[in-house]
Amino acid sequence: MNRSRRNLDSTILRVGSVLAGLVFWHFLATTVINDTTFLVSPIVVVATGYEMLFVNGELYPHLFASSWIFFYGFLLAIVAGVPLGFVMALSPVVRDYVNPWMTTLYTTPRIAFAPVLLLWFGVSGGAKVSIVFLGCVFPILINSYYGMRVVNREYVELARSFRLNSRALFFKILLPASVPFVLSGVRLAIGRGLTGVAIAEWFGATEGLGYLIFFAGQTLNIPILFVGVAVFAALGIFGFEVVRRVEAYATPWKTDARGS
Amino acid sequence: MAGPVLELRNLNKEIPRPGGDPFIIFKNINLTVRDGEFVSIVGPSGCGKTTLLRVINGLMPHSGGQILIDGKSAEEVNQELLMGFVFQGASLLPWRTSLKNVLLGVEGRGQNAKDTEQRARKHLELVGLSGFENYYPHQLSGGMQQRVNLARALAVNPRILLMDEPFASLDAQTRNFMQLELLRIWRETRKTVIFVTHMIAEAILLSDRVIVFSHRPGTVRSEFQVPLPRPRTMDIKSDPRFLDLENVVWKQIEEEVNAAGGFTQM
Repeated sequence: MNRSRRNLDSTILRVGSVLAGLVFWHFLATTVINDTTFLVSPIVVVATGYEMLFVNGELYPHLFASSWIFFYGFLLAIVAGVPLGFVMALSPVVRDYVNPWMTTLYTTPRIAFAPVLLLWFGVSGGAKVSIVFLGCVFPILINSYYGMRVVNREYVELARSFRLNSRALFFKILLPASVPFVLSGVRLAIGRGLTGVAIAEWFGATEGLGYLIFFAGQTLNIPILFVGVAVFAALGIFGFEVVRRVEAYATPWKTDARGS
Repeated sequence: MAGPVLELRNLNKEIPRPGGDPFIIFKNINLTVRDGEFVSIVGPSGCGKTTLLRVINGLMPHSGGQILIDGKSAEEVNQELLMGFVFQGASLLPWRTSLKNVLLGVEGRGQNAKDTEQRARKHLELVGLSGFENYYPHQLSGGMQQRVNLARALAVNPRILLMDEPFASLDAQTRNFMQLELLRIWRETRKTVIFVTHMIAEAILLSDRVIVFSHRPGTVRSEFQVPLPRPRTMDIKSDPRFLDLENVVWKQIEEEVNAAGGFTQM
């Protein structure tokens, strides 16, 4: 009962916080600033968004273009990052080979790679997908690696005591123990991947949410600009929610994955 | 009558120290355990009794001597699952239900999956956890987790059951119940048990024989047959023979602690 009470309080606080923010924004846009080439009220943004979604459908090509780029880059990052992270955790040799590259690439700002990737891949999907990939792969790689390295010693002893072979050790102990870490890497990757989409589409794209925002900014079309930002935010929230559900399903012993 | 299930001959364990003499954990351990016997090892903290159990199980190499299981050297039968280990912390896998945890040692060994599951269920029932098959460890109490831990070790039908202070982290009441449960389970399975504990009363209550370890480096200081009839209940703790033995063992451990420099030095 105490718990549900707390959950209710927590919901009220969250909704209240969002509402207060919107009211403040509206107030700022209509009274203090009152310049539609600078800031518009959230009501105008919602109306514009509604129009682009349900009246003229202008948003869809951008939404689909960005979603595909995100999806491919993100998926490639999982497919490459998780196994490589695991192999690094299990093999000191591979770890030594990969580590300097990982550190260098991870700490270099991704935006610095954008021009060269565009040069190599042209203004095709390949350049954009690889920018998204670069954004997503490191948190996934690093978390997968770390998750498998810090598996509780107790569980490894348990496996040895029950004479599990190395295959069983991997599939029954190391892999399931790493899942929560992998998923938190995937969660981090969502935000970074969406940043990658925006960056990729600012450079010479002709469609996509990043292009939409960039173009709206150039033409001082503030309502469309904010619609683009809001859709990015919505995609991020959607992605988080998907990962949260996967987490609740895949790691039922983590009570915190079920709450909140 | 067949030979002993377990035989330790002059078993040593030392850990090399860089730039110094090796650190001797235990030395010259000779111990013979017959089939179906319940043997406890007691001794002051840090005497190497847990390490001995881990060495017997092959979790650590020894530094000299011999371990014979049914007359064969432990190295020779190392890949066979002859021992069930009951860990001090329950060491249950949090992503597996009770049933799946018990299955860990038996599944994937070439037997029919249905049979192995049946086997796991039977052992959960033996430890009194029917109905909790689909619970995750975090949904179980400490005592119940230790029951799963015990069922997991028993399910592999081990020749030897190694128990490392399995009740040490339980509250006193739960511990008493678990001791009685272990007596019942042992009566039903007649496994050979080597039980490490720092609680003298627990050792006497459960065992046929109590081995007292010296302080480090651990050696067998003495051993006692427990002259008490079975089946045993908690009432036996007020039997004069029980109290006498408890006293004698306690005196010896006290001497060992003092010889090691007193309790504050531990």
